[in-house]
Amino acid sequence: MADRVWEVFQQAAEGDPMVHGGSVSAPDEELALHYAREFYGRRQESVRLWVVPRDAILELDDPDLLQPPFDRSHKRPGGYVIKHKLEAARQRAGTSGTDGGGEGIE
Amino acid sequence: MTDLEPATRDAVAELLLTLADDEFVLGFWDSEWTGIAPMLEEDVATSSIAQDEIGHARAWFELLAELTDDDPDRIAFGRAPEAYRHAALMNHPRTDWAFTVARRFLYETADAVRLEALAGSSHAGIAGLATKMRREETYHLLHWNAWMRRLAEGGPDTRTRLKDALARLWSDAESVFSPLAGEPALLAGGILPESLADLRGRWIERVDAELGSLGLARPTSEAGPPSDGRTARTDDFRWLWGEFTSVARSEAGATW
Repeated sequence: MADRVWEVFQQAAEGDPMVHGGSVSAPDEELALHYAREFYGRRQESVRLWVVPRDAILELDDPDLLQPPFDRSHKRPGGYVIKHKLEAARQRAGTSGTDGGGEGIE
Repeated sequence: MTDLEPATRDAVAELLLTLADDEFVLGFWDSEWTGIAPMLEEDVATSSIAQDEIGHARAWFELLAELTDDDPDRIAFGRAPEAYRHAALMNHPRTDWAFTVARRFLYETADAVRLEALAGSSHAGIAGLATKMRREETYHLLHWNAWMRRLAEGGPDTRTRLKDALARLWSDAESVFSPLAGEPALLAGGILPESLADLRGRWIERVDAELGSLGLARPTSEAGPPSDGRTARTDDFRWLWGEFTSVARSEAGATW
């Protein structure tokens, strides 16, 4: 039997994010849904399942694209890491307060 | 329920026993696929469906025990093989996968018709259970219909096996609608909203529609539902009975 692999995403409650549960093997869409139900939904643990053929998923795992070698921390929502600069400035000013410095901007 | 006339009470008890035993015996036969189904996913699905049926049997046994002031476990495991009232369709052993799929298809289609009717029963306990079970049985029917299609369209070998199984099972499948002694009392009180003959007619329409869509002809039998359809027992069933009662019989009266 020429089985395909299907990835199953499950939602635990209405409004929750769809979370990857695992995968099932099945020869067609109908049995893929049935097996997804048996493995990820028969114990009332899901209110919704998404069943996706694995070969329909576009994959990107190129480290040159996902892990670029230069520091890109300025592109993060928090901006530059200035924790150490703040600490040095406080020491120069003679104030303590190494605690709590730079929260939220790491 | 204690206010039922004795004759009606006996009729309800007989009906409940047929409902429970159909699910109970089929659940045991199909649980034999655990570990040996054609693929891992199907192994889990078949076993899970078999377990659902044992669960349904338990619910019917509990309702019966309440009615007759008995113990559900005693009814389930404490009877001689000849006292079981499942349809002759469940007298056959597991056999091959096509045989299991064919039996399941014939039974689930019949059970769907029967539960639809019982959901409108004047007996609140029966109507309530039938309504709940229909939700699970809908999935069972979808699953076995999917397998009917796979086997019917899977090539000459699987199609031949499926046709042979349907031919071999047909007359015993009719026995799901074999007459019950208490049927007039059940119909008079609206406990069974439609006669077994009418339900059988609806079952045949649905079987025809499904088989027709697969290009298969329904096997025919002149006789219709046999009068001993729920009392005739086979050596295959006696063997299964020995298996599923072996633990209960090992320590009679024990509290587990």
